[in-house]
Amino acid sequence: MNASAASLPHGHADDHGHGHHGPVLQYQPGLPLTRGKLIMWLFLSTEIMFFAALLGSYVVLRFGAAVWPKPHHVHLSEPIGAFNTFVLICSSVTIVLALEMARANKPRLAKLWMVATLLLGTLFLGVKGYEYQAKFSHGIYPWSPRSRVFEKPDLYYGSAVRARLGEPAMIDRLKELDDTPEDKLTPDEVSARRRLKQVRQMVLSPDQQPFDLAVVADQVMPLPAEGTDSHGGAGGHGSHGLNDTFPWLKLPAVIPGGNMWASTYFFLTGFHAIHVLVGLIVFAILLLYNLGPKRAGMIENAGLYWHFVDLVWIFLFPLLYLF
Amino acid sequence: MSLATTSPTLTQPTATGLGRPARKPRPIAEFLSTYVFSKDHKVIGLQFLFSTLVWFLIGGLLALAVRWQIAWPWSDVPVLGKLFAQQGGQMAPEFYTMLFTMHATVMIFLVIIPILAGAFGNFLIPLMIGADDMAFPTLNMLSYWFMWPAFFAFGASFFVEGGAASSGWTSYPTLSTNVASSPGAGWGQTLWLIGLTMVGVSSMLGSVNYMTTIILMRAPGMTMFRLPMTIWAMFITAILQAFALPVLTAAGFMQLADRTLGTGFFSPEGNIVNNAMQATGGGQPLLWQHLFWFYSHPAVYIMILPAMGMVSDIMTTFARKPLFGYRPMVYSIAGIAGLGFIVWGHHMFISGMNPALGITFMVSTMMIALPSAVKTFNWLGTVWGGKIQFTTAMLFALSFVSMFIIGGLSGIFMAATPVDIFIHDTYFIVAHFHYVLFAGTAMGVWAGIYYWFPKMFGRTMNEFWGKAHFFLTFVFMNGTFFTMHILGAVGFPRRLADAYHYETFHHLQPLNAFMTWCAIGMVASQIIFAVNFFWSMFFGPVAGRNPWNANTLEWTAPSPPGHGNFDFQPVVYRGPYEYSVPGMEKDHLMQTDPPNAAALAAAGAAH
Amino acid sequence: MGSRLSGIFWSLLFLAVPVLGVATFAIAPAIDVWLPKDVSEHGQAIDSLFYFILALTGVVFIATEVALFWFLWKYDAAKNSRPATYIHGSHTLEVVWTIVPAATLLFLAIYQMNTWADVKMRRPVMAPTVEVVARQFEWRLRYPGRDGTLGTGDDLFLVNDLHVPVDEDVLVQLKSMDVLHSFFLPNLRIKQDAVPGMKIPVWFKATETGQFDIVCAELCGWGHYKMKGRITIESREDFDRWLETMYARQEATQPEPEPAEAVAQN
Ligand code: HEA
Ligand code: HEA
Ligand code: CUA
Ligand SMILES: [Cu+2]
Repeated sequence: MNASAASLPHGHADDHGHGHHGPVLQYQPGLPLTRGKLIMWLFLSTEIMFFAALLGSYVVLRFGAAVWPKPHHVHLSEPIGAFNTFVLICSSVTIVLALEMARANKPRLAKLWMVATLLLGTLFLGVKGYEYQAKFSHGIYPWSPRSRVFEKPDLYYGSAVRARLGEPAMIDRLKELDDTPEDKLTPDEVSARRRLKQVRQMVLSPDQQPFDLAVVADQVMPLPAEGTDSHGGAGGHGSHGLNDTFPWLKLPAVIPGGNMWASTYFFLTGFHAIHVLVGLIVFAILLLYNLGPKRAGMIENAGLYWHFVDLVWIFLFPLLYLF
Repeated sequence: MSLATTSPTLTQPTATGLGRPARKPRPIAEFLSTYVFSKDHKVIGLQFLFSTLVWFLIGGLLALAVRWQIAWPWSDVPVLGKLFAQQGGQMAPEFYTMLFTMHATVMIFLVIIPILAGAFGNFLIPLMIGADDMAFPTLNMLSYWFMWPAFFAFGASFFVEGGAASSGWTSYPTLSTNVASSPGAGWGQTLWLIGLTMVGVSSMLGSVNYMTTIILMRAPGMTMFRLPMTIWAMFITAILQAFALPVLTAAGFMQLADRTLGTGFFSPEGNIVNNAMQATGGGQPLLWQHLFWFYSHPAVYIMILPAMGMVSDIMTTFARKPLFGYRPMVYSIAGIAGLGFIVWGHHMFISGMNPALGITFMVSTMMIALPSAVKTFNWLGTVWGGKIQFTTAMLFALSFVSMFIIGGLSGIFMAATPVDIFIHDTYFIVAHFHYVLFAGTAMGVWAGIYYWFPKMFGRTMNEFWGKAHFFLTFVFMNGTFFTMHILGAVGFPRRLADAYHYETFHHLQPLNAFMTWCAIGMVASQIIFAVNFFWSMFFGPVAGRNPWNANTLEWTAPSPPGHGNFDFQPVVYRGPYEYSVPGMEKDHLMQTDPPNAAALAAAGAAH
Repeated sequence: MGSRLSGIFWSLLFLAVPVLGVATFAIAPAIDVWLPKDVSEHGQAIDSLFYFILALTGVVFIATEVALFWFLWKYDAAKNSRPATYIHGSHTLEVVWTIVPAATLLFLAIYQMNTWADVKMRRPVMAPTVEVVARQFEWRLRYPGRDGTLGTGDDLFLVNDLHVPVDEDVLVQLKSMDVLHSFFLPNLRIKQDAVPGMKIPVWFKATETGQFDIVCAELCGWGHYKMKGRITIESREDFDRWLETMYARQEATQPEPEPAEAVAQN
């Protein structure tokens, strides 16, 4: 976007390679706004429609779905989400402070607040990355070849578990586990090893029934009953699925509605994160300048954008985490 | 108006070519910055114009190939058959689906939308509001250059494994999302989505820029209600673009993710394609249709409103009469745009959407005919009592009105839900949208080209050959497309490579052959246009600043205008349509003509 | 440019639009390029609505196109020595030509609702006569066997050959296995998209016996053009007899239903 034109209400001679052939023209503006600010508002309205489409799709998909996982089924932590919301709101405050300082001709302070905004935004992304990691470690990916999430304990699920258990590396690893003397294991691991044996028997026996597969699924990743949100982030929680006790197992899990949930969750938060990243890049560029009153217009526009990104998250957080 | 004193030295038409920059040999860098990476809205407008005309030709040839197959199924295709190395020049059925998909894609996304907003919007907006350029020239340049990735994506898709996209321009899942479902659902479809996104970015950059320019950069005295209809139309089109397009972009990303990442937004659980179960699911195929039409219905108005604006301006010029009902005309454009957002479901009456929802969409669709009716009647009011000059531009503009009525009225059949049960996805629909798109918009575009050509290139196009072009196009066009209505009445389905093996349709081949001959004639007639266009650019009679004695601001600038457009400060005193003001010797009063006693009296009485 | 003749020529060209337009629609039924024979109960309602809109839009079409011609003819600059009328519009006219079409369109909107509800909303209370599962590129049919319920072991499986009894309500349960298709019966004025993941009811009552086309009306891939089926409308006795024959044949050839059943059940 053309920054110089944004700050000059009329004319933009420096934007052209050649000089004007005519006079510098005068205009009758329809709104008391600079060009930069107006186009930023217009741009943001297109962004609103973009996220409206994504959120609308989410609502349609979610309420049209037969089942939808509870947040803790998919290792979603409300406190972490709330913390991130708080971080983002703080960053909206700091960017306003940066603008105020720039307007008051205190470039050093403005820069300080800008750095604070940048750090808060980075923190937000860091937390987001941590949350993503928690999903990945449970085999929840938005894309199918890597995702280890199944809708129901059906034949396909059974064969996926069997395939996983039949991988050569896995066979070695399981043998190693079987051969480990009991005193080298924690009590938890001992019990898990016993259950794993049962699972292997059930899955590898030729006449397995769907009923057995449900038991398998429950052993691999028990779906916590409603109300028990014992989970934090990656791994560190109290339920004792086989995958939790032996993280290297990476057995397919059954989470009804989990794939669709993953599709929407990663898509929505992913696009939001891209917007955060763009904002951070803009802030980083702004930091190269002397943030005096001359730059106030640019800071204001960047701030507008940032508030918008913040606002999107205010919608995303309750929709994804709380309902 | 304090600025009034500074203006009127050069407001009258003066000698030709005055503002043209002196030509002297330039180094390559300067050539590039002037003609290739130019930030001048006029050059960008012309870049859009030339690119879209080339694609127009490609789209037309694709249409001919489509027509060939419909008329003479499985017979060897001349020229194109060899080009694409089909078995012995005969078309494969999947090739046919690709043909009409890409025909529509090219026509809509690379021709009509960019020629209206990109070419005419760019060229005309600053000139007609009295600005020296767009508010953000660099952004403007980018909006053109974002078309190139789209050109490459769509163009390259013809040559990838499996061919270009072939799930229709509507790209309904799961045909478009499941790679196994058809040959063209591979790379072709992915490139299609990428191309679409790029066109979207281009349009988005353009539209926010246009809005900013129109809001902030009007000449002194140019109030909103003194804007020419073209500008009003461009303004409201830009609003439509800005609000509708992001939805398509979002949907496009979702489809892209379904195809490449394996998400399941648009695929239900347990779908089996080609005997293989789809890995992911849980989504809804109809969701895409809602998102797509939420954009693409407003898009059909994006594809006609600017033409309506241009036609209004051209008709007043050659009827030598003020526009009938200026304000109703403005309000009806706004009405079409507003209602345009709540009618998208009329494309989905029989899609499996809740039939009760169908009723609400039917009512809103009926209502959208209302502002169109207002426009039609006001155009008729404009020619009534005029002094009509049958120039080529005027003929194209008049035919826009005549043809839009046909296209619009056929829309009423489809808006009637019970009737749509029968005619949906038949040639009745194909007739409808070619009447509004080709017989409507494309005619409006030609009107615009003939009308503003002098401003673009400083020379006028040949009138005789222009009229020959008009006559042949008009006749062949109606021969091709009017017939489609009665085909549709038989229920002749669209998108069928060969329908004659059905008992119901086997007798329709001769009619289709007739239509194909007309289509060939129509494309052939464009040779006249192409020759006239290029010949006139260099050898046409030199036009003055105001060859048509029109009123709007662009005609006060030199032809073609130099960099910065105006060699004086334009100041506007009145609306754009003061033709045949009683008591004046001239039959037109330009927007910049300073008010003298007589003009004031006349204009004052009217307002 | 401004010669009298050219004005006459161009005005007449615009007059040719309504003249030839009306002529086309007048000739079309005569050369059998027209609505195919209707053999359904609700088809009458749809067809008469079609004719009603044709008449209505026909009037608007002729009126506006002839007006356009007349103004071009009369106000040609070469013929018309009077100056152009200096008028910016008329409030009364604007009101009239907003209200009149608005009333017409509103009437039309309300007028057709009943037919729509009959065809798509007032589903007869009955068990499905047949289940139609569309797939690339054929129509898979499943009749409930002797027990009259779908999804039991004795279902009858067929492809592309749909039989229904005449003069009875028929309820089709429409599904798709893979991509979108559309179940189009031109002679019964029925069209309904088949959507993967959805189970859509379609109903009709045929009034005449005979054999007609089943057309796929939604693009479903390269073979879309050849996804053809036949519908046979026959008397109850013939229908029952046919069912029995088919049933016997299925039992003779296939001990078990095809694997497609697994899909059809979900
Ligand atoms: C420029 C493009 C354009 C325009 C302007 C329109 C305008 C209209 N369209 Fe069209 N339409 C398309 C482009 C366009 N359409 C395309 C491309 C498709 C197909 C997409 C696809 O499936 O591939 C389509 C499909 C389409 C359908 C879906 C059909 C189907 O798939 O089954 C419907 C259904 O309602 C419809 C309705 C209308 C209506 C009511 C109008 C109205 O706006 C028309 C209003 C105008 C008039 C009515 C004429 C003037 C008025 C008078 C003279 C006044 C008096 C009139 C009366 C009282 C009746 N259109
Ligand atoms: C703006 C849109 C547009 C335009 C202009 C056209 C133009 C034409 N279209 Fe098409 N068409 C569509 C949009 C358009 N179409 C759409 C949206 C579909 C639906 C696709 C789908 O189902 O998915 C469709 C489908 C479609 C079908 C149905 C296919 C099917 O369903 O099986 C047919 C069949 O006859 C057809 C024919 C034609 C013909 C003969 C033309 C002719 O009018 C073409 C004439 C071409 C020219 C006249 C070219 C002129 C060239 C120049 C002027 C360039 C001069 C060059 C220089 C100066 C450099 N089109
Ligand atoms: Cu099935 Cu088209
Ligand atoms: Cu529409």
